[in-house]
Amino acid sequence: MAEKLKEKENRPGWIASINPWVLKIKNNPERVAFVLHRITGLLMALIIMAHIYVTGTPARVGWDAWAEEIAKAHGITAVTLYFFFFAGIAWYHGLNGIRLLLVEFFGVCIGKPEKPKPPYLAPSLKACQRKLLYLVFILWAILWAATGYILFAS
Amino acid sequence: MMSFDPKAATRTPPKVVTFRIKRYDPTTGKEWWQDYKVETYRGMTVLDALLKIKEEIDHTIVLRYSCRMGVCGSCGMIINGMPRLACQTQIAEVATEANPIVTVEPLKNHPVIRDLLTDFTTFFEKHKKVKPYTIRKDIEEREKGDFEYEMTPEEHYNIYEYTLCISCGLCYSACPVVASTDRFLGPQALAYMWRYVADPRDEAWKERLELIDTDEGPFSCHYAASCSAVCPKMVDPAAAIQRLRSALLKYRLGMYKKERIAQKKVVEVKPNPKPLPPEAQPVPGADPWKKNEEPVNIPVDELIA
Amino acid sequence: MMGSGSKKLLLQYITAILLIFLLTWHLVIRVPALRGVSTFAETLASDKVYHEITAYGALLLLFAYTVLLHAFNGLRNILLEWTDGKYNALITGTIIVLFFIFAGLATYTVVGITPPPASG
Ligand code: SF4
Ligand code: FES
Repeated sequence: MAEKLKEKENRPGWIASINPWVLKIKNNPERVAFVLHRITGLLMALIIMAHIYVTGTPARVGWDAWAEEIAKAHGITAVTLYFFFFAGIAWYHGLNGIRLLLVEFFGVCIGKPEKPKPPYLAPSLKACQRKLLYLVFILWAILWAATGYILFAS
Repeated sequence: MMSFDPKAATRTPPKVVTFRIKRYDPTTGKEWWQDYKVETYRGMTVLDALLKIKEEIDHTIVLRYSCRMGVCGSCGMIINGMPRLACQTQIAEVATEANPIVTVEPLKNHPVIRDLLTDFTTFFEKHKKVKPYTIRKDIEEREKGDFEYEMTPEEHYNIYEYTLCISCGLCYSACPVVASTDRFLGPQALAYMWRYVADPRDEAWKERLELIDTDEGPFSCHYAASCSAVCPKMVDPAAAIQRLRSALLKYRLGMYKKERIAQKKVVEVKPNPKPLPPEAQPVPGADPWKKNEEPVNIPVDELIA
Repeated sequence: MMGSGSKKLLLQYITAILLIFLLTWHLVIRVPALRGVSTFAETLASDKVYHEITAYGALLLLFAYTVLLHAFNGLRNILLEWTDGKYNALITGTIIVLFFIFAGLATYTVVGITPPPASG
């Protein structure tokens, strides 16, 4: 008698776009970049709502409340730390966003199709988008550090 | 680090390697990991080892394979966390003396039928959806066959890369978008679509671009480029999707037009084909029967240069 | 007619290009050295902020709307992808409501502003 056989659905789901190590693929920093872009994007969407709410203080509540808030923006406080993380997230999302615009919107920086030969490395993985990716990480570190300096120096 | 190491076949893997295989029993729905110890030899591939396990240790393991030489695309599986062709993966490439363990799982994103065997039905349906064949307006002209469509070598190399796809499904399995939405056509189908949009012999580029301008199409891609990193044939689906998306956006903004549609060129059919050239003879001095005593020295560096 | 695919991402790319410039401006005016003050907090002083909101109100609003479009459109795309087409209407509806709430809030920040009591 034939038994009832059930196939197993094997899609990891949304976790694959949050955790770059669902698969351990070699030579693929683009995947890490994608995951970071998504996480920073989600965080940004949340923070922007808070940011618009808070910057509405002068009109909503009044200038006194605003001045009280700003008084907390000296040195290392909850306010400056919030700005520090906000800036870090925004820098990455923006820098990598420029790279993605070039690659996805303009379709450049992904190399030219070529004749396959060993070690069979796809042209887009050695094209200038890869160099841009490293540049994004370097600039991110520099700009974030500079932001920290400006925020915490006073 | 490269995804394919051409020198791996020249190294000797650890003497005994443990294969940790993910099993699945469709009658009970049970899943478990099972270990098998295999004695290896130089040049042994993961597929060789799996077949050895099936022959000598456990006959119940189920997997799919056919050509054993990276041509048919049946033996895709996740080896040490990365989608690979089992027949093209040297054990020496994935197991080290320090860590002689190789994990083998069925491909992700494809439903599992049993053990390492996955169901490609959806994958091929999506492949079919992009109409993977040349479309000409004049249907009858294709029936005649006394002509060819003109194409320059440059035009050929623009699409040649994409024609090498063996439909192994590794890219589809690596894609983080397919992982969460089943509707995305996936890297393989979209790379195929671009291959026909860019092919000068195809006339239906407008219809094709309209066809994929949906949530299933290239706009769902976020350029994680995992597809290009795992493709065993250097097809570079990630780049193909970006080209497709860029073309589609330009088309929507009224700025894209296919460069050239190839025209017919009548050719005379030669009655007597030429005989084989002298290069097509066996390599002198190589004795395949002696290869175990004195391994053939493969000039890998020369071949890569 | 544009397909659903092009629309959602074309909006994302066009706002992104705008944002590169708007965000740069938004961040640069917070650099103390460029505003002739010595600390970050001083760039947020009431008179400076009031001047920004009145002199560059339109630009600020353009920035807020662009950012909100980019953020909510992106959020929607992510949620649609994650839920695999199961709650499309619900997600789109919530996103549109959220967009109007925050766009309204941003508009009020610029339109409803009154001068600070004394310069400080
Ligand atoms: S594009 Fe590459 S990885 Fe994808 S199915 Fe074709 S050969 Fe396999
Ligand atoms: S068995 Fe044919 S590709 Fe591996």
